[in-house]
Amino acid sequence: MGSFNTNSVHGPVINPFRSGDNGTESSEAPRSAGGSSGGSAAAVAADLCYAALGTDTGGSIRLPASYCGVVGLKPSYGLVSRWGVVSYADSLDCVGVIAKSVDRVRNVFDVICRFDNKDPTSIPQDVRDSSNSQAERSLDLWSGLSHGRFDGIRIGVPQEYFPAEMDSSLRTQFHKTLEKLKDRGAVLVPVSLPSTRYALSAYYVLASAEASSNLARYDGVRFGTYQKPPPGTDLSNTSAVYAQSRSKGFGPEVRKRILLGTYALTADAFDNYYLQAQRIRHAIKQDFDGIFRSPNVLLKNPTPPSTDGVDVLLHPTAISSAPKLGDAMQQGIDGYVQDVLTTPASLAGLPSVSVPWCTAADGWPVGMSVVGQWGNDQVVLRVSELMEAL
Amino acid sequence: MYRRLCVLRTEVSKRSYASTSTSYHDKWPGWETVIGIEVHAQIKSRRKLFSESLNSTDELPNTHVSLFDAAFPGTLPRLNKYCVDLALRTALALNATIQPKSAFDRKHYFYRDLPSGYQITQNYAPLATGGFLDLEKAQKRVRLKQIQLEQDTAKSTYAEHLAATQIDLNRAGVGLMEIVSQPDMRSPEEAAAYVRTLQALLRSVGASDGNMEQGSLRCDVNVSVNRIGEQFGTRCEVKNLNSIKAIQVAIIKYSPAASEVYRHIDLIERGLSVAQETRGFDEERAETFKLRSKEDAPDYRYMPDPNLPPLLVSETHVDKVRQTMPELPAALSARLQKDYGLTEPQAEVLMSVDSGVNIGYDGEVAPPGAVPYFEEVARGRNPKVVVNWITQELLAQLSRQDEPFSANPIPPQALGELIDLLQAGEITGTSAKTLIRHIFNSPPSTEPFSSMSKLVDELGLRATSSDLQSLCEKAIELLPQEAELVRKGNEKVLMKIVGQVMKLSKGTADGKAARALLQEMLKAES
Repeated sequence: MGSFNTNSVHGPVINPFRSGDNGTESSEAPRSAGGSSGGSAAAVAADLCYAALGTDTGGSIRLPASYCGVVGLKPSYGLVSRWGVVSYADSLDCVGVIAKSVDRVRNVFDVICRFDNKDPTSIPQDVRDSSNSQAERSLDLWSGLSHGRFDGIRIGVPQEYFPAEMDSSLRTQFHKTLEKLKDRGAVLVPVSLPSTRYALSAYYVLASAEASSNLARYDGVRFGTYQKPPPGTDLSNTSAVYAQSRSKGFGPEVRKRILLGTYALTADAFDNYYLQAQRIRHAIKQDFDGIFRSPNVLLKNPTPPSTDGVDVLLHPTAISSAPKLGDAMQQGIDGYVQDVLTTPASLAGLPSVSVPWCTAADGWPVGMSVVGQWGNDQVVLRVSELMEAL
Repeated sequence: MYRRLCVLRTEVSKRSYASTSTSYHDKWPGWETVIGIEVHAQIKSRRKLFSESLNSTDELPNTHVSLFDAAFPGTLPRLNKYCVDLALRTALALNATIQPKSAFDRKHYFYRDLPSGYQITQNYAPLATGGFLDLEKAQKRVRLKQIQLEQDTAKSTYAEHLAATQIDLNRAGVGLMEIVSQPDMRSPEEAAAYVRTLQALLRSVGASDGNMEQGSLRCDVNVSVNRIGEQFGTRCEVKNLNSIKAIQVAIIKYSPAASEVYRHIDLIERGLSVAQETRGFDEERAETFKLRSKEDAPDYRYMPDPNLPPLLVSETHVDKVRQTMPELPAALSARLQKDYGLTEPQAEVLMSVDSGVNIGYDGEVAPPGAVPYFEEVARGRNPKVVVNWITQELLAQLSRQDEPFSANPIPPQALGELIDLLQAGEITGTSAKTLIRHIFNSPPSTEPFSSMSKLVDELGLRATSSDLQSLCEKAIELLPQEAELVRKGNEKVLMKIVGQVMKLSKGTADGKAARALLQEMLKAES
């Protein structure tokens, strides 16, 4: 867990971008690779593999992809099986792909994207077929486009995705990119997703609550670290026995989230935290459903396709480039702010790709996120490919 | 005079609480006990509720455990539809309202018998609500609150010699139906009748074996006491009751000092309040004891299980379950009496053999039980004759050998043939019993039993009416003194000669005919 990938028992992951040529050490201070799939992103960025898998719960694939300058895909929730994935937050966890190009990411994704009976949240084939046929329509339309053109592609620019914390140089670059897209025929549509500002809080309440539940099984009895209780412990008190192993086996960040998540589920706090967060989550989903051209096939009565709607949304993946490791390890609450742009898509279960976009003032990479309606992963990948070539 | 009688009655009733014939009025004059029961019944499915592991009874510990049951990371639940269908049968049998949409929640607490640190249950939206169970003898209807699906925990046993607790995960994740009653019962007898009736019903639809000794049925009893006419008193819960007797005893007990009712009455009479508590039951001392108070009651932090989508049950599916489920006891008993003219006790006997219909795992009908057997034999025959042969001979043989009905070696066609031979006079009643006994005592053969007629001839049991004359003559010859007595008018001795005829004929002779013939022969001579 953790947006900077500094909490692992193996130590922090070092961002390989600019780590020096020919393996020599760079004179620059080392930077975070982003997290929590920072290891996968770093391996890909360092050319150690063709592609890597990761899991994205609140931005854990997209953020490292952005920091390391590679492509990262978080698919629509339910498309890739979670059987075998160590659960963090079941309703948010997505298995995704990291590689150096969109083409490579697509190659791997096409193989792993299938129904799995062993995962109760795996979306059935008929629903996949339904969303696929929606996506086909757009892809067919765009197959005739000349190289580098975006004619007819409706791109939404979400107003709420430019928080005060964002690097000002990124705002300027974003405007430049929008101009370029407009020149190449893209239709830019400003959209509003009013519930966005509550997304980060809602995410942390829900993810922590689910984590406190999913991590309750780590007691050292059947697997994992077992810490023998000190003499004098009342062995008939289960909690007293389990607390030994759990305190030893979990790192400080995980312990913090478990405690907060446990609190959010207590009878006193449940309504104000957990239930409230669920309401926000629902509002966020409705915000997205209101702006996309494609209907959400998961709904019992999906709204009919709208001509005003957009095909995808576009926004910077992160508020800045990769922070220095020294700063990252000092993080307090600021560490959580890194997820502010990625969490809405997680809460809504939407497909999102981060493609390398530009460099910040310090020369380090920043990615651009392309977000689509549920099930439109191929559309998102296609647009990402076009962005890649921009 | 009247006062003395009252005192006497109270003393007598205090001593006689253990008898089931006294009503609650006598036990606690002026007081009312209010009892509600939560039953946890293991679902008789082949596999567990959310994993592929097999359900087991007497297996070696930790041999039916999947990664999911042991809560290994990376595992996910998959709902077993047979569990749902068996729970739906239960809901239908209990007249409950099946919810078209129900949901699964996680109930969190840390305990050694809970590997994942939470139990998957249905707290907010159970499978069925309402319903009722009619208690025949008590003439009482007990209303139900709800029926829900949930996981069973592992079994933990304290091993003295190791000073450690041993955990058996075979039971972890087994499907349970929790059946919650309203506090409608008013006496330990009603509580016992409720549990017995529920057990019979669960067995009859194949939803559960409902066996308390084996652990497939467990009860938590809620008791409160109030003066008649006043509102309900504070409720206490008694957990881990393993037999119907324990239930009754926990409610009223062996020694006046510790039972729930007396404890409550004592507190109330002393002007003290009854603390809301959860209590356990000490079998050895036959007492309840405090497990935890209301303040210590844990906060289970219920959270909807994000892995399990809502359970949707359509009307069509419920109808299918209704059509394919076995007949309910009341309906079955009524039908046997109406269609076949059986008496209620006869119907009851047939239905009570191995729970009557003999349902296997996942609600499948296993080798037919006594009722379908009866129905097949009774086709085209006199049902009253058939039922007598089954209950008095067949079942007697089975119980003598301590075998279940499935071990019955006589196929229905064979028994039918036997009865036909008997009715036609080809064999005597005694011979028929001999035949049955012979088949039961023969070593089991791999070939299915073929012809009863053939066996009759093999054993030489074919009724010999033509030889009756010579047999009687022979018998008279062998017993001259007795014959003389009969000639002189002594009827009683006649039976001895008849006995001789039977002996000579190896039981194949018709006793009545022999008697008549002997009478004729002997009277004629006089």
